[in-house]
Amino acid sequence: MPVTRRTVLALPVLAAPAILGAREAFAAPSAVKIGAVYPLTGPMASAGDSSRAGIELLIDLINTPHPELAPIPLMAEAGLPRLGGAKVEIVYTDGQNSPAVAQSDALRLITQDHVVALNGAYQSGNTLTASAVAERYGIPFVNGESVAANLTERGYKWFFRTTPIGPDIAALYLDFLASVGKTGVKVAKVAVVHDTSEYGVSVANTIKQVAASRQTPIAMDVSYTVSTSDVSAQVLKLKQAAPDAVIFISYTSDAILYMKTMQAQGYKPPILIGDDSGFSDPSFIKAVGNLSQGVLDRSAFDGSKPGSNAAKIDALYRKKTGRALDDTTGRSMTGMLVLCDAIDRAGSTEPEKIRAALSATNLTPAQLFMGYKGVKFDAKGQNVLASALMVQLDGTDYRSVWPAAQAAAKLVLPFKGWS
Amino acid sequence: MKKRHLLFVVLGILVLAWPLVLHGVFIQHVAALLVLAAISASAWNIVGGYGGQVSIGHAMFFGAGAYGALAAYTDFGWPPVAGVPLGIIAALLIAVLVGLPTFRLQGHYFSMATIAAVELLRILLSNVSVLGASVGLMGPARPRGLADLSFRSPVPYYYLFLAVLALLLVVTAWMERSRLGFYLRAIRGGERGARSLGVPVVRTKLIALMISAGFTALAGGLYALMVGFIDPESGFGLLISVKMVIIAALGGAGTLWGPLVGAAILIPLEESTNALFGGSGTGATYVVYGAIIVLISRFLPGGIAELVQLLSVKARRRAA
Repeated sequence: MPVTRRTVLALPVLAAPAILGAREAFAAPSAVKIGAVYPLTGPMASAGDSSRAGIELLIDLINTPHPELAPIPLMAEAGLPRLGGAKVEIVYTDGQNSPAVAQSDALRLITQDHVVALNGAYQSGNTLTASAVAERYGIPFVNGESVAANLTERGYKWFFRTTPIGPDIAALYLDFLASVGKTGVKVAKVAVVHDTSEYGVSVANTIKQVAASRQTPIAMDVSYTVSTSDVSAQVLKLKQAAPDAVIFISYTSDAILYMKTMQAQGYKPPILIGDDSGFSDPSFIKAVGNLSQGVLDRSAFDGSKPGSNAAKIDALYRKKTGRALDDTTGRSMTGMLVLCDAIDRAGSTEPEKIRAALSATNLTPAQLFMGYKGVKFDAKGQNVLASALMVQLDGTDYRSVWPAAQAAAKLVLPFKGWS
Repeated sequence: MKKRHLLFVVLGILVLAWPLVLHGVFIQHVAALLVLAAISASAWNIVGGYGGQVSIGHAMFFGAGAYGALAAYTDFGWPPVAGVPLGIIAALLIAVLVGLPTFRLQGHYFSMATIAAVELLRILLSNVSVLGASVGLMGPARPRGLADLSFRSPVPYYYLFLAVLALLLVVTAWMERSRLGFYLRAIRGGERGARSLGVPVVRTKLIALMISAGFTALAGGLYALMVGFIDPESGFGLLISVKMVIIAALGGAGTLWGPLVGAAILIPLEESTNALFGGSGTGATYVVYGAIIVLISRFLPGGIAELVQLLSVKARRRAA
């Protein structure tokens, strides 16, 4: 065939069915194939790449013997012991930033690559469409990181989620305060400070609802607009009301402004909790870390306790990528770990058996490297033991301080702030 | 002419019958995506191709259609398909509201104004809670009945999309021969000249935009039926608009079959590069995809339609 413009242009059309169909031919016989949908290109690519690197590390640890990581399932032996040591093979696909692409990916993984289960897909929208395909085909789908509440409200039989979502975070703060209250510290009056963005309002409302349902209602609600230039009125209000604990739901610039204004007005709440986002930002620590000593924050991952599973996994991840393991990557890895563990316990690659094994999952904190209270799914597929750790700022690092069993440092109260 | 008719009949039978013979689910899915892309590119083609008004904001109509379908489900519990007409009405309103002021602009300025309009809508929408705000809307998690048009197999979608595409092609073919089509081509040739010959420029452009918007919204509604989820980015994102333009331009903007040819090349290309290279995470999908677009715009700026024309002229010369 002469190479002309016509033949060059015809190539993609002629080759496409062959390419689209070809992957079917190369099915490795003994490996257990799992499909992973993550955003590997587009605006979410850096997060997707981290998740992928974490999963690559995890699969490597599963496929080779690592007795030093023994409490974590599947680490001690090579491969999946109850499947004759079969290796796990991940087929990665790029969900981009598009629910339609994630849908295509899931369909291709199921019908062409014949994966036994699916994992992913980072963005809640991508998870939604990809898991809907899995549901139609009766293939288990385990999600480790998407937080949209509606994902587990669809009545799906094949969808499981390991990550903590809004109510779990609210419960974490309230449990923490209740536990601190038992040591004699006053925690009766709690204030919530939040911006009026969707993030601020939804987290604040969830905390208020959960608190009300426990008969320990939130005493005070202070709101402000995002990226405001002045919060002195809000700080003054807090100073006058003098709550025992304040929970801030703020983005970085507002969190910084609050710390500066509180210093200017000489106000220190006895317990100060920041909800992840603004307070976890390295630029927060850089800007006002010296004014914020003893700030409490939450994180599902904390590698600061020497000898813990988290510290070991963190060290391996650093060796592989040169970066510290972050919360989201840790959550993605946990989703995949739970899936592999279920396949092993099922002792089979039959979807129904894997689903049954997932439903029966019961992992303890000692078997995990995240700050979860364990993994156990309810009828909707949500992990009822999903939680996080309370971490406290000491110098320039956050260290886990609660629950005590997973703590790397001792909780220091009251809030020290500046010296 | 007889030979050409025969070709069309054979092609038509192939297009209709192949899913009954080939059972690869993923290939069927890609075929449905291909027809869907052909619908939105053909809809864009009416105003962008024939009229030469290069809109890079057609996602506003696509998004309106998709949101109409899923808002009807989320807010009223209707089957999504019942919301498609609502989406089309919204798209027509947007077309008038955006068209009247922006049609005063010409060339690049018109394109830029359409980009601004669609971005504005996308950001506005992120704050409207009845439309799911930044989280988006989802369709029925599992079909409640046939009316939800939620199928496991891609084949029903394929035929549904094909029927809509056929309707759109008939409308376009009619328009090509009608006064509207001649007016549009005159406007593309030069707006001042067209006006001096008595073409009602603004009215013509507006009618074309409304036809185009209606069908683009229909494509958006069909997308929502099949994908079952829409958020501001996947409905009103810039890439959605750009893809329509690329497909139409690749096949040949301002021709009846151009957008179809463009979709038939680009969608399988996109899906197969993503299948082959997507998992590597290196972005090779876009490199291959982009390289082909660059090659075509370098060697065939008029699209594939131009090549076909060139070849048929050559063949006729050889025959003579």
